[in-house]
Amino acid sequence: MLGFIQLIWPWVSPSSLTAPRASPPEAPRSAIEDAIPGAHIVGIPVAPFPALNLQMATKDKLITHVMKEEPIGCRSKVTVVGVGMVGMASAVSVLLKDLCDELALVDVMEDKLKGEAMDLQHGSLFLKTHKIVADKDYSCTANSKVVVITAGARQNEGESRLNLVQRNVNIFKFIIPNIVKYSPNAILLVVSNPVDILTYVAWKLSGFPRHRVIGSGTNLDSARFRHIMGEKLNLHPSSCHGWIVGEHGDSSVPVWSGVNVAGVSLQALNPKMGADDDSENWKAVHKMVVDGAYEVIRLKGYTSWAIGMSVADLVESILKNLHKVHPVSTLVQGMHGVKDEVFLSVPCVLGNSGLTDVIHMTLKPSEEQQLLKSAETMWGVQKELEL
Amino acid sequence: MASILQQLLTPLFSGEVEPPRNKVTVVGVGQVGMACAVSILLRELADELALVDVMEDKLKGEMMDLQHGSLFLKTPTIRADKDYSVTANSRIVVVTAGARQQEGESRLNLVQRNVNIFKHIIPQIVKHSPNCIIIVVSNPVDILTYVAWKLSGLPKHRIIGSGTNLDSARFRFLMADKLGLHPSSFNGWILGEHGDTSVPVWSGTNVAGVNLQTLNPDIGTDLDTENWKETHKMVVDSAYEVIKLKGYTNWAIGLSVADLTESLMRNMNRIHPVSCMVQGMHGIEDEVYLSLPCVLNSNGVASVVNMTLNEDEVSQLQESAATLWGIQKELKDV
Repeated sequence: MLGFIQLIWPWVSPSSLTAPRASPPEAPRSAIEDAIPGAHIVGIPVAPFPALNLQMATKDKLITHVMKEEPIGCRSKVTVVGVGMVGMASAVSVLLKDLCDELALVDVMEDKLKGEAMDLQHGSLFLKTHKIVADKDYSCTANSKVVVITAGARQNEGESRLNLVQRNVNIFKFIIPNIVKYSPNAILLVVSNPVDILTYVAWKLSGFPRHRVIGSGTNLDSARFRHIMGEKLNLHPSSCHGWIVGEHGDSSVPVWSGVNVAGVSLQALNPKMGADDDSENWKAVHKMVVDGAYEVIRLKGYTSWAIGMSVADLVESILKNLHKVHPVSTLVQGMHGVKDEVFLSVPCVLGNSGLTDVIHMTLKPSEEQQLLKSAETMWGVQKELEL
Repeated sequence: MASILQQLLTPLFSGEVEPPRNKVTVVGVGQVGMACAVSILLRELADELALVDVMEDKLKGEMMDLQHGSLFLKTPTIRADKDYSVTANSRIVVVTAGARQQEGESRLNLVQRNVNIFKHIIPQIVKHSPNCIIIVVSNPVDILTYVAWKLSGLPKHRIIGSGTNLDSARFRFLMADKLGLHPSSFNGWILGEHGDTSVPVWSGTNVAGVNLQTLNPDIGTDLDTENWKETHKMVVDSAYEVIKLKGYTNWAIGLSVADLTESLMRNMNRIHPVSCMVQGMHGIEDEVYLSLPCVLNSNGVASVVNMTLNEDEVSQLQESAATLWGIQKELKDV
């Protein structure tokens, strides 16, 4: 009889039926293992949670750190250089659009810088940007994806943008190398005026390829144009299409042939659009755009909100790799008859590599003439600069 | 020849323009007012924004600057005027007008200056938007919320002071920062006066439901070796600190006001620590405004949460109430 039983269950040794299975070393026995003899839970060994120990800090009683590796850190960091009105409006617009996981602020005025950073940090509960840092030292800007440069002197009432040039070149000679040192792969977005010249300066001083140095250019002028056009037609600006290109300033070029609503060319409806004898005086719309900044400066001392939102619009296209077309300042040498190394605004494709493509506009000869003239004026100023 | 507009669009409906449904007015276009305005615009809370102030050039400049950004916004109508008729039909009116604290000046010192300004502002607001909810931000906010309530004749649930919404946000930021967490994951309430005598409710502080006072029974007291009490002190000192460094505060308060506006506008029934009429609660006999956790929806303050406070916290509230009442009863023409 005994021999028969042994034959039927040869693989089960008598000892294994009675002896408990050995637990692997280190894994604590759980209640489940106690309740079911022979049960064994396969799991990832974890350090047992600390028993409440009066000597331990509250933080350690509450939280157990379980990751052995270094934290990854930021993936979409934005730096804003300059915490004046434009810099802060840009910072707040970027924060309120949830665009970055880290924001760095830099300036030379230490108290103002610290105060602004604290004020933003105090609003962290309402934001989705966990880390906001600020320092005079550029090391806080390390690993930025986009660096927005607003630093520099601003236009005084009645002062044209070109007058600011040399003042701001000297400031850039300090700023740009510092940015490059800590974020060698960043995309630079220049806002300081005169923006087209200063984008050229930033490009030269940084040694970056041209697709990573962008000037905010006529993104704002076009936004102002579309707002005024919207008011005239009682439509939202986003349904009013119009492009202002060329110099961000007094000699910007409204491309009337492209102005449209739902693809309907307005110039086709009114061939005199933009001319002096246009009974609807659309030319005045462009004049209001050019005068817009001076008007706001006269009334409130500076402009901030619109440029801030315009910057956030560009940062969004870059960080989210949207491949959206914006009128921004880029190297236009070789386009539209421009021979010199100048930066002017044309419609460009923006994505996470930067400014990758330029849309070739069909401009009228008079429009191209205006671009060329701007380019010449700009080159005239640029060649006198000490870089 | 027909104009472009006539050629382009064939109207199907040419009736009255619809009045706005979610209009917000901001009174005062100083740093705080503009920060509130921009936060509300960027959070897409309003279909119309009106700005009012007495400084006409500044007002027009700020309006234009915002309008120039309208391509990037979802608020199609932005208006501004010295005349309050521009504020008509507002659902929410944010009052930031008034003198601001100078460096080192306490909020209570500003009182009478701001009462006189409110006597001009509040009746005009109510005249043009009799059904609105008023959020008072100007300091000292608790007293001025009382003043606004008295001058407006509105029922008490439609007047709110921004109160300790900001103090609590600062507290949650500072505490969460010490723990390496996002402020929204740290729960803690600061109640009472928005100012030097605000009350941190340590017994309620928790993360993921784990009560911090249970982990550290000394938390918030002078016996605490970890000195968590310092965090509350930093909250109280925050405003003074920022004012000393940059001259004023604006971003945090702007975001805080947009947060309140969202709950009111979207009828969310979220709880915020805001300044409301607390007579009859926690043994307070006088008509004072102090911050308690309030449920906010499109009617205003729907209800007040009955906080479980310990004796010490209750007596701090009562002391604040007494101080505030002491000042309020001396105010002229309220």
